[in-house]
Amino acid sequence: MSGDKNILYPLTGILSAVVILLSGLIFAKNIWCPVLLVWFFIWLMLFGCYRACLKVLLPMLVLGGIFAGITYLASGDGMSAMSMMNRMAAVFLAVVPGTSITPVQMARCLSSLRMPRAVTLGMLIALSFVPLLTLEIRRVREAMVTRGAGSIFSPQILYRAFLIPLITRLVNISDTLSLSVETRGFTLSGSDYSIYHLQSFRPKDAVYIIGIVLGVVGMAVIV
Amino acid sequence: MRAVELKDVSFSYDGEKQVLNHVSFTAEHGEVTLLIGPSGCGKSTLLSILSGIIPNITAGNLTGQVSVDGESILNLGTDEICRKVGIVLQNPEAQIVHKRVEDEIAFGLENIGLAEEKIASQIDTVCKMMELDKNWQTRTLSGGQKQRLVTASTLAMGQKVLVLDEPLANLDQTGGRELMELLRNLAGHGYAVIVVEHRVDMVLPYADSLWTVEEGTVRKIDDKQEYLNTNTQKIKDTLPEYRPQENLFSLENISYSAGGREILRDVTFSVPKGARTVILGENGCGKTTLLRLIARLNRPTGGKIVQTLDACFDRRFNPDKRWFQSVGVVYQNPNYQLFMPTVYQEVRFGAVSDEYAEEILERFSISHIRNRHPQSLSEGQKRRASIAAIAATQPKVLLLDEPTVGRDYQGLKELVELLNELHRQTGCTMVTVTHDVRCAEALCDKAVLIEGGTVQKQGGKELVREYFGERS
Repeated sequence: MSGDKNILYPLTGILSAVVILLSGLIFAKNIWCPVLLVWFFIWLMLFGCYRACLKVLLPMLVLGGIFAGITYLASGDGMSAMSMMNRMAAVFLAVVPGTSITPVQMARCLSSLRMPRAVTLGMLIALSFVPLLTLEIRRVREAMVTRGAGSIFSPQILYRAFLIPLITRLVNISDTLSLSVETRGFTLSGSDYSIYHLQSFRPKDAVYIIGIVLGVVGMAVIV
Repeated sequence: MRAVELKDVSFSYDGEKQVLNHVSFTAEHGEVTLLIGPSGCGKSTLLSILSGIIPNITAGNLTGQVSVDGESILNLGTDEICRKVGIVLQNPEAQIVHKRVEDEIAFGLENIGLAEEKIASQIDTVCKMMELDKNWQTRTLSGGQKQRLVTASTLAMGQKVLVLDEPLANLDQTGGRELMELLRNLAGHGYAVIVVEHRVDMVLPYADSLWTVEEGTVRKIDDKQEYLNTNTQKIKDTLPEYRPQENLFSLENISYSAGGREILRDVTFSVPKGARTVILGENGCGKTTLLRLIARLNRPTGGKIVQTLDACFDRRFNPDKRWFQSVGVVYQNPNYQLFMPTVYQEVRFGAVSDEYAEEILERFSISHIRNRHPQSLSEGQKRRASIAAIAATQPKVLLLDEPTVGRDYQGLKELVELLNELHRQTGCTMVTVTHDVRCAEALCDKAVLIEGGTVQKQGGKELVREYFGERS
């Protein structure tokens, strides 16, 4: 989904994701709801999120279909099944605008709105920490295997051979990272900083959000 | 005016043990200053004082005077010191915050409030200097590229005093030489460059002054050449010539791809039984991947590896406890493989017998720390403990990934002697990945040179000499 980056102003993207999710859930039981969701889908495609839209399409249809099928089998009610399908579709569509925003774009956007940098940097680090954590877990698991440490499901082995090396590594990494950040001038004392590639709200973002809101208003009028 | 001056500086972390004791040190603009000394002697502490990490971030008792460009920095915060002194820390992987090279370099520049146009021009300048593409994803960079990125992030901030803590640890011969040439060039433009490094042979030719840190004191060495001669000699191989035996592993047209990238292709060579095989090659050429394939930590995407250790290992590919009792894998970072409460229990875990565990403790000279927690040891001791723990299982094969990284000359020499002694006594087959010119020959009966993901050449010690000779 990397091809869809830098398409929407970050806050516009987040706001539209919330609107899509909530309206999808609220109107899920209405017969016109699929029309609204299709409108969202087309609108997102038109505003450049086509890669993300195409990526979510298959899982949305498959998972939505499975859950709708289960609901139909459980209740025997076609309307309930459709509601379930609508809810699932709303969740998947709400993910799309979020995938068009990189963490650094969001951090810069929030920094430009004077949000404390401790929060924006914390957010960035938390997001970059996930792949690092995954990698470290894999390495520790692998090292356990090479030492013949046995099954991770044994509490003693889990504690000694997995948690201790993992925590040691994570503490070391966190320590180095905080030193690196501070020695590169990051401070919480409120000194001046600049923002590279400042994110700004564009007319295109206004048109995008108007389209999303119009869809919801139209739906409300029909209902 | 001196770029950096420490006068009568003493420091203690706990108020009791003095790490630095009445130390005086200077570094000049226009020079590369090299700081050397055994592991744990206080080099990194000295760098932390220079860069303001001590006392601003790490607490302790600091006395004396520390000045940069004639101005005391003892009362300044790190946000002010970082505008004067740039520091490149060890372990580049842990320092990268952003996903793209451009954003990572911009981070420090945003913090010091540079205008957007200036940030863009600094990014272009350092990317060109460090041979980085600003659009690269940081997660996909090799170890050497990550080292260049963290160096670029510091360089971009434009301080005239640069401090680098073991910058060559993850670089091969060519990468190390290129970085040192760059630092030499920066010194030529008026920068004061201070480097802490164990690979004296690679740094000293580029250094103007040499200082040693030992037991809390710092001393300037006047005769660089003599120091170079005594501390960078190639370690001699004390083992008799290898007599050819049958092959233990035969790699036949091996290829390996991951994440859409071809790492190895059409690799064919054999590992003779009882021999010490050294795998050579530049950063990112696929050496570690090759070792992992032999260890069965990854499965080749093409070709096959025939082993003659035991026919039972042919039944299934996935390695189990028995496989790793036969094939010992020593990681580059020992922290991953140490988990028992004491060194003794660490060595006894998986040992063939309690008596052998005792013997290994003695042989590896770690008997005196047998009751210590492995994670509380120094890096050198951790390295010994991790190899001892693997050796205690009496593996038929020992696979070592860069076992000498971060070792001072004495530590390196001891480690090589230890490995060779273990090999002599047990007759195990050893496969070592290394880019350390000082020890490669001493750990080699057979050498395999990997370039561009494939075997470029095979040979003996002469190939090691040829390989490092070409790159020196």
